Amino acid sequence: MANLETRALTKRFGGLVAVNDVSFDLSRGEILGVIGPNGAGKSTFINLVSGIYPPTSGTIHFNGRDVTDMEAHRRAALGIARTFQLIHPLEDLDVLENVMIGFLFARRLSRKEAKRQAEALCASMELEDLHRGVAQITMLETKKMEIAHALACAPELLFLDEVMAGLNAEETLDLIGLVKTIASRQNIGMGVVEHVMGVIRELTHRVIVLENGAIIAAGPYEEVVNDPRVREAYLGGAL
Amino acid sequence: MNSRSGIVIGALVFAAAVCLPLLSRSLPAIAGPYPLAVARDIFVYLALAVSWDMLFRSGQVSFGIAGFFGLGIYGAALSSLRFGFPAWLSILAAGAFAALVAALFGLVILRLRAIYFSITTLALAEIFRIIFHNGGDFTGGAEGLIMPSLISNSDSALYWVALSAVAAAVLASSWFERSKIRFALTAIRNNELQAKSSGIGIFKYLMIAFVVSSFIQGVAGGVQLQIYGAASPDDSFDTNFTLLPLAMALLGGVHSTAGPAIGAVILGIVSETLKLKIPYGHLVVYGIIIVVVILFMPNGLYGLWRGRTARRADAGRGGERRHHGGPQEPGPGTVGAEEARRG
Repeated sequence: MANLETRALTKRFGGLVAVNDVSFDLSRGEILGVIGPNGAGKSTFINLVSGIYPPTSGTIHFNGRDVTDMEAHRRAALGIARTFQLIHPLEDLDVLENVMIGFLFARRLSRKEAKRQAEALCASMELEDLHRGVAQITMLETKKMEIAHALACAPELLFLDEVMAGLNAEETLDLIGLVKTIASRQNIGMGVVEHVMGVIRELTHRVIVLENGAIIAAGPYEEVVNDPRVREAYLGGAL
Repeated sequence: MNSRSGIVIGALVFAAAVCLPLLSRSLPAIAGPYPLAVARDIFVYLALAVSWDMLFRSGQVSFGIAGFFGLGIYGAALSSLRFGFPAWLSILAAGAFAALVAALFGLVILRLRAIYFSITTLALAEIFRIIFHNGGDFTGGAEGLIMPSLISNSDSALYWVALSAVAAAVLASSWFERSKIRFALTAIRNNELQAKSSGIGIFKYLMIAFVVSSFIQGVAGGVQLQIYGAASPDDSFDTNFTLLPLAMALLGGVHSTAGPAIGAVILGIVSETLKLKIPYGHLVVYGIIIVVVILFMPNGLYGLWRGRTARRADAGRGGERRHHGGPQEPGPGTVGAEEARRG
């Protein structure tokens, strides 16, 4: 049985169907790519799974438990973590304190223990100089901090929403390596939303393609990118 | 400022406050009941300013201070007149009453944000006033209630009572600053989505902040009743009890315990002085201070000082320092260090 199972998940905003009848499974240790044109419903999909808003219909099960109506902070404590496409560092906290949040609240650790573990996590991700404010760190450091922030919740599943956006080629390679290491070392299942096809190719075991909120193709990377419907909807003649 | 120097400064200020009545007894120059009377008024405002800031740390702006303060005044008056509570217990009852009402309304209004929350709290304060205005014999109606006896008529005793409200506010506020609650409220203020995605129960922490700050406002009301001996709808729910604490917190510096306290002392003394020289003109000065502060030092006096000490420490340590946020950041030293690192 997969850790996360959605069945016929649908979200309407007024007349717009942002996510349409999406059923998929994700298990620990697996990295799933989610691709599709802008407005295809990728971020909405993550918002549904992480509990930012409730679905219009359909169900979400996590480890056999129905979490469809569960609040976001409880899902985080249960093991579903995420990053945001528009990065949201907490600007009045320094880097270390940003990372401590998940340890403090999702894992309910004491401040002392949260600080110790946050320092260890940052060290393992090569994040240094932790008392800087979030306005003073580089883009790559910000992305690492966002991932550390999510990892602090002790996730079984982690959704990364365009975490590579805004990085140069070298930094992207750096971060791909880091994400791979995390996924294998901690046996975390990941859902990776990304526009950079190279990242999808490097990282993922399996890809789903969304268009107008619905899954139009699913399978291994090579298979999906050669699917004529996917080339039509998303990739164009680029590949 | 690190937490140890904060504790030292806080202890010194508190010691000074404790010494004031002794001083006024022994030194005729500043003697007499007048400085003590000014001090206890300032104490009531100080408790209100600090308590308002405690909720503001979550990003929620309450315009309802006067409402919960007024509930405290009436809670104390009714509990001692109608139920025979002793004075000290009536002050606690005042806090409990305000906290209970806050908890009930909080179930609904803490789902609101930004200006919608602010306007609703303003409306609540007005609704409370109207309820007590029309409460018939039980609340004393438009004339209100007069207390036949008080905790004491001695100025220094009232001073101690008022100081205890300050102690309650400062202790609760430092508890907020030194516990997980600071992380929760800051995260909620900075970004609610990020906060809830990291396991923070937004509603729970807003409720804690709202109930605790209302409790303190209620206690301040209970103290106010002991000072003035009467509860009337128009005086108890006066909008000045919302506006002045807000101005004090802004002047001193928000998101801290020290800031609102400093602001309360400064504006309290300034307004007392001006009140004698230009009656009602002190309100104009208030307005000017608020405008100047918001334009030129959005982190208030305490924020200004904190930014400066942080920058000095930064120069000493070569770039590593705590970030406090706000427009005067980042300091020049930090920018240079950052460029050196990147280059």
